[in-house]
This record gives sequence, C-alpha cells and structure tokens, in this order.
Amino acid sequence: MLSELLQGIETGGLLIIQDSCSYSGRDLLRSFIAAALNREEEVHVLCFDVSEDELTDGLKPPATQRLHVHNAYPDPLGWTDHPAFAVQQFRLEDLTDLVKQASQPKPATLVIDSLSWVLRHAAPPAVCRTLQQLRKGGAVRAVVALLHADMHQRGTVGSVCHLASSLVAVAPGPKGNEAVAKITKRSKSGKVAQDEETFCITEDLTVAVLSRPSSLPEAKPNGSEEEQADPTANLTFNLRLSESELEAKQKLTLPFVFSKEKKTALLHPGPGSGRILYEPDANDDYDQEDPDDDLDV
Amino acid sequence: MCNNIDVIISNMAAPVSGMGEAPAERLPINSTSFQKKTRSKLVSIPGTRPSVQNGQLLVSTGVTSLDYLLGGGLAVGTVLLIEEDRYDSYSRMILKYFLAEGVVCRHELFVATAQDNPDDILQELPAPILDDVAVPKAVEQPRLTGEPQDSLDAMKIAWRYQHLPKVQSALASSSRFGHYYDVSKTMEAEIRQAAKCHRFCLPDHVTPSSTAHRLESYSALLKSLQEVIHREGFDLAAPMSKSRNILRVGLHSLGSALWGDDLCCHDKPRHRHALTTFLYGLRALLRSSLSVAVVTLPSHLIQDRALMGSITRLCDNAIALESFKGSERETNPLYKDYHGLLYVRQVPHLNCLASQLPDHKDLAFKLKRKQFSIERLHLPPDLSETVSRVSRGELASACGPSASGTKNLDF
Amino acid sequence: MFTELNSILSSSPDSVTPGEFILVSDRQSDASFLIHHFLSFYLRSRCKVVFLGLVQSFRHYSAVSQRLGVSLTQAKEKGQLVFMEGLKESLSVLIPQADNTESQAMNFLRDPPVGLRSLYEFVRSGAVGSGRAEDGAEEWGPPVLLVDDVSVLLSLGVDAGAVLDFSHYCRAAVCSQMKGNMVMLVRCNGEEEEEEDGEEGAEALLKGLTHQCSLNLHVQGLPTGYCKDIHGQVEVCWKRRQGDGPHTQRNLFQYKVHDKGASFFPRGTSSAVL
Repeated sequence: MLSELLQGIETGGLLIIQDSCSYSGRDLLRSFIAAALNREEEVHVLCFDVSEDELTDGLKPPATQRLHVHNAYPDPLGWTDHPAFAVQQFRLEDLTDLVKQASQPKPATLVIDSLSWVLRHAAPPAVCRTLQQLRKGGAVRAVVALLHADMHQRGTVGSVCHLASSLVAVAPGPKGNEAVAKITKRSKSGKVAQDEETFCITEDLTVAVLSRPSSLPEAKPNGSEEEQADPTANLTFNLRLSESELEAKQKLTLPFVFSKEKKTALLHPGPGSGRILYEPDANDDYDQEDPDDDLDV
Repeated sequence: MCNNIDVIISNMAAPVSGMGEAPAERLPINSTSFQKKTRSKLVSIPGTRPSVQNGQLLVSTGVTSLDYLLGGGLAVGTVLLIEEDRYDSYSRMILKYFLAEGVVCRHELFVATAQDNPDDILQELPAPILDDVAVPKAVEQPRLTGEPQDSLDAMKIAWRYQHLPKVQSALASSSRFGHYYDVSKTMEAEIRQAAKCHRFCLPDHVTPSSTAHRLESYSALLKSLQEVIHREGFDLAAPMSKSRNILRVGLHSLGSALWGDDLCCHDKPRHRHALTTFLYGLRALLRSSLSVAVVTLPSHLIQDRALMGSITRLCDNAIALESFKGSERETNPLYKDYHGLLYVRQVPHLNCLASQLPDHKDLAFKLKRKQFSIERLHLPPDLSETVSRVSRGELASACGPSASGTKNLDF
Repeated sequence: MFTELNSILSSSPDSVTPGEFILVSDRQSDASFLIHHFLSFYLRSRCKVVFLGLVQSFRHYSAVSQRLGVSLTQAKEKGQLVFMEGLKESLSVLIPQADNTESQAMNFLRDPPVGLRSLYEFVRSGAVGSGRAEDGAEEWGPPVLLVDDVSVLLSLGVDAGAVLDFSHYCRAAVCSQMKGNMVMLVRCNGEEEEEEDGEEGAEALLKGLTHQCSLNLHVQGLPTGYCKDIHGQVEVCWKRRQGDGPHTQRNLFQYKVHDKGASFFPRGTSSAVL
C-alpha cells in the first residue's frame, strides 16, 4: 500500500509520517517529495528541522525547478531580523500567500518537515485547525507532514493523526537498512484499510517494498519454519568436531587431573607405611543419628 | 592498588598533617606533579591534606570511615549531599561530626538551619577524644605484607586461602586524618567558642514573597554566605597575604517545608527549580573559595525521582542514609549488628577523568559511642549452636530482596 | 583524546567531518568523560572551539585537559578557545547585589521563561569571531560548539522546549551555516519507561535532541549492575546515512575510564573477564 500512496494522494488528503528516535521518517518524506516531483507536481516544503541542502540532497535538477523550499531552518522563531519563514506564520492566510506567490495555476502539494516544530510553538488546536483549513482551502492539493511522535503528549499526537487521511508509522525493521511501515488509510466513504509493510529506501529515494501485504500472512508458515532454525548455529563453542580435532581435544590434559599412576600412588600408600587400626569401644559416643542435624539422613 | 594508595596517603600525609606515622618505605610510584602543586601553595592550612588522586586539597568529614569512602576526604570547594534518614538522627550526627572536626582543626564554620537555632546544633557537637592518638593506631593499622611478627604468630590456615587479601570489614585508611569523638559527651564550651562561627537562621531573614524559580530564603542564604566568604577572605581571588583558613559550611535540612520550599509537599512543586538553582549558586561560590559544604536533605519526602537526580548531580559527593529504626529491617537478623544502610549515590571526579569508585557497594553503618563506623555489609558469624536450617533459609530470603532492591549486584 | 574512540567513530583530528552534531547522552551513569575527549580532539584538530562549561569550573576542565595533553590556558590565549564558565557568570545574576554584569550570556537566569536567546548570541559571536584572522593571529578551522551539560539548564528553570530551540539555532548557525561541529551532553536519570506522555523535562529534551543530532553516543550503566572493571556501555548510533550503509547504525561497546583516557571494547571482552 506504500507504493500506492507514493503514486499520489487524493485531493484534499493529509498524509502524516509518524516516526520516533529509533528510526527517522525523513527519508520516506523525501521519497514522497521525489515521487511528487516525478509526477510533475508543484511541491512546497516548509523546512524547519534540517537545512535545505540536507533536504534536497539526492533530488535531480530538472525536477527541483518545481520544488519551492520555504527555509525556516536558520531562523524559525525570528531571532534575527529577516526570517524567511517563521513558525508564527503557520496560519492559513500566510501559507496560502506563500503558495500563491509561486504563481502556478495548479494546486500544489505542501510538505511540512516537521510538524513537531510547529506543535512545540503553537497550540495543538490551532495547528489542527490550520491543517484542516489547508486541506479544504484549495490553494493546496494535499499535505504531507512528518511528525516525531515521541516528542509530544499522546493526546496531541492522537488529535493530529485523527485528521489525517493516511497515516504511516515507521519503525526500524529487522535488518539494518530496512524499516517497517504501519499504514492506515481512510477513504472518503469511511472505509479503513490497514497494512504493515517492510521497505527500504535506496540512494535515489525510490522506495522498495520488500513484503507485500497479501503475502504477509502466507509468509507466516514460511517464517516460522525459518525461526525454527538451528539453535546451535551461533554457539561460542564447536559442537561438530572433526576427527582430528576430536583427537587433539582428547589428548589435552585438563589442569588438576592426575595421571592414574599418581593417583594410585597417592591413594594407596605402598608397603612399609603405617596404618591406623581403631576399634570403637564403649566410651565412644557413637550415634546413629545426625548429631548436628545438618545432614540429610 | 588499594594498598598502594594507602601507603601513598601515609607518605603524603605525614609531612602535611603531622599526625601520620613515619612511612615505612617509599614506593617507587611518585608522581611529582601533584606534590609540587599542593605543597607549595596550600600546605599551611591545618586539618587539610592533598588527595593522592588529583592533588585536590582534602578536609576530613570527622568520620574516618566516611573519609575513606569518599576517597580520602572532602575536597575543598565541593558539596557533600546527605540524604537524611527518616528521623534525621544519623544525618544530623554526621553534620555535627563535620562541624566538630572544623572546631578541632580551627576552621571557621557557617551553619544554617531553618528548623531551630544554629546554636542548638553547635551546642550538641560531640566532644573530641584528644588523647587517643596512640590508641587507635595499634588497632587500626592494617598489617602490611611481610611484617616479621606477622609470620610468627600467624594463624595456620589452608594454603589455598593464604593469598587471599585480608578482609577488613570496617573501612579505614592506614593514616590518621580526622579525629575521634565521644558522642555521649558534648564539646566543652571553651573549645567550641574558640572557633569562629557564622550563623544563618532563617526566621531572622524570612520574607516569604517569591517567584516560581527563586525563593527568598535561598537567595538570602546564598547572599549571606557570599558576604562571609568575601569578608573573611576565603575567596580564592583574594590576595594570599595572610594565612588561609577553611570555611566549613553546614546546611541542615534544605528543601524542607520550613525553608518555604514545597518540594516535599507536592508531587508537582511550584518551586521546582528553586533548590537546584540554589545548589548551582552554592557550587559556584564554593568553587571559587576555600570552603566546603555538607548539605542534608529530607529526600524521603521528595516524590519526584528525576528531581532528586538533578539535585544529586549538582552536588559533588552524595550519600544516602537509611536507618533501620521503624523499618521492618530492624528485626532482620542480617542487620542486627548495624543501625542502618549507607548508599553511595555519587562520587566526584574533580580534575581527573576517572572517579574513584568504591570497590564495594553494600555498606552499613553503626554508631558507637566513640566512633561512627561504616562497614561492608556481611552476615554475622554464626556462632550459636541452635541455628537450624529453617532460619538460614529465612536469612537467605531476607538477603535476596535487599540486594535486588538496591541494584547492587556485584560481579 | 581517546584513540580507541577515534577508531570506533572513524574520525581523526586531521579531518573533521563538517556539519556533525554529536549528542552525548547518559542515563544513570556519567558520560562527562566523553566531553573531555571531544574538547581535546577539536583543540588538536585546530578548530575554533566555543565551550560552554556550565557544570564545572575552568580549573577542572583545564586539569583534565592537561592530562590529555592539551593546554586550555594556551588555547585561550591564542584565541582558539572561547570558554564560558557558567558557574562564575551565574553568581553575579544569582546574587543580585553584585550588579557588574560583564556578560549577557547567563541572562536567562534572571527570568528563565524568556529563553536562551542571549546564550545563543554569545555562542554565535564566539563562533563567528573565528572567520577573520586578526592582525597576524593564527587562523583556526571551522567552529565547534561544546556544551557540558545542557540538562543543567533545566535545573535552572529553563524549560526543555527552550533548550531545544537553543540547540536548533546553534545547529543552524554552527553546523549548517559555518560547517562546523557541535557536541552536547545531556543527562537523564530516570528509567526509560518511567516517564510517559512526553513529559517536560530531561526525557523530552533527550528525545528532541536525538531527533536533531547526526550521531548519538549513549552511555549507560551495565544492565547486570555495578562492576569495578567495566564502568558501563556506550551505544554508538549513526543517524545519517554513511555512504551505502543503512540509515541508522548501532554499535555497542563497553568502556572503562582510566586516569588518562578510556578504553573501549566489544561486549564481554574486558581484560577483567578474559
């Protein structure tokens, strides 16, 4: 379903990519930008989190003509005199002006990197309202936003995600460069589709989906078979000794193991040494029971 | 390593404090850098000695085993935080030891409390045992390896155990640093009055108007301390003309409601940052002066562990006392020889990368008439004949939760 | 400078990767030894260094650097190092009687809710000063900002959001604009799961900074408990793509701090257990 979303979001759609400390959703966001540019769409990016260079790294020149970056990264709060875009401007009117300035008749896609920056500086209800107005406003065709879910209270994340028509929650995958996306898509009719996919992103920002949603349940038995893999695989010692290794091992004498001769010499003293003969008599207090009560007899 | 350190301390301490015994042998380890630094500048102050680790000037807390635990003593310019036991009996005792040691060493004192008059604490100071110098030496001195009389009357033990280090459960270093005190008597008035003491008593100063991150009481305390430091010439920036002295600062029960602080009263205190801001200022003052502070804090009343963590980090040393009084541990046979447990929360690393970590984290303390001693926690030797297997099982289970609860799993 | 850490991070003082934001974090442990590593590392690599020493005195940093073979006093005299001693600066603000305010950097102490703009301006002016070579003075490499540690700002009443804003501005200026580096230490003491709902405070700060940084060194105690021979473990986590490699790359090492450095080794290979 991820590739389906990458092919285009419906008009008036709001897609939120939700990530956490353990896996950054920015590469996926950049894939969405690249995909939109490839479809010849106009893309406006509100850039708070990273520098423009970092965001546009990997996007190719002809496509970048249609990319308009509103760079709020160097000065998001207006601490210097002339901020390009400040977080206080996250309002319908300002955003519409911004998009209109590009003077393209075609409605554009608005990308927000990231919504967390906005949410830290504006009240969540106001942010939600602006998002909703943007979707209905007409200046913007669709909105794609990145949200660092672990930076906000659960309620805030919930109410923002509640607005989204599509939600992609990313988490690190089983292998190093793979990630798992949990996708929830709500259509206008009210139908909800959910899916979980493993994907990886290549250098040129194309997304390769590794396991299809339909194949996921079928893959289960296969997977469990794999899980039954040899438990002796990753041992720190060797269970399968070769003939020669076994021989070598048996030759080894362990420390504190005496040879048979030495042992017998120690245990059975030779002739001529004394022996103790002792016969208990009546004075000996010989008790059958355990006097200290500390033996299990 | 540990033995080496002890010997070096005795090497170092002998010329400085004039109390340690003559060093038996000089070890090859002889790092010249710290000797030079410390001896030339600060050697003249009585009751101090340089640290082996980093050349930091140390003073005694008045409790010998606590000094040992803190790596030889309290470094001048640092804060020792004591988390109070529930009834504040032992933490107050340590504070008094600290102040008494100051009186004996002729340091100046600064005492602040909100609970009662500072004079109350000063009048309760324990009496020093001044003629004891020879006595504890014989008892305390750990036997260095290879002493001739040692081999004569050595106990015959299985050869397997002969090379194990001797376990000494009471913590002590080989050289004498602080003094001993008799807690059953109070210090004579003339000794006490010989020491110069600055008192800060809250009721005189209090003006309860305050903002969220600043409290009037703490600001007043900080200001009064700064005045003393400037006026009496403890400032490091002050000219080195006259002989220098150490200022010992004792702050009792900071953070309690009597200071006007609501840390202990609410889960989400309004003055959340008042105490931490104060401690930051205190650190700033101490670092630039010849003073050392002991702060006690009723941490058992503070709900917010994260806040407790930042308080700890703004102090340098931090220990916590847990008294058995009133807890179910009082009746536990494991603890019958002790009065409470002592946790080392933090050791400083000053002027060096590595901090001196204690080799043992299960520590207990007991207060004897002539000594407050901190020992490694161990089972008492089982001498009775009637001990049955059942009670041993109990003992083991009693041991279990305490070990896991304090997270002191030692390898 | 710990050579073992350099080889783990595949860095050397001869070539500093531009634009790096290294976050050093710890949890119920102490990661400040890493700050000393980075301080000596960048001084050796001839970068212009701005150091915000908020928790210790200059003497402390100077004494440790001496052991690592770098002289802070000399670096200061040569103009390579801009050192702000937070403790010293704070006194004039905390005890209002002395009203000779030389520096505006600690102004936030007067009214913490205002934010850290003045501190940022201090950093910026310190870092910018590097560009021009003033009358025959030596020329230094790209600027580096070191902060030890940012969580103490929380204790002084600044909220986590303001610290995040501060670090964002510093990153934009130092890392992106001036192609320098930035190292921040943040300290937490709660259990990982203890606080939830993005509660304000050290946890929120740690999370926010983790999102901002390009490399995270996270120091923790051993999960099995206290040990005298292994002081803890450090998790090295790259946030940015390293060539063809995966997005996030994690490696775990155990470490032991010595008098003059620290040794790092893969798990279970301490000399104490082998």
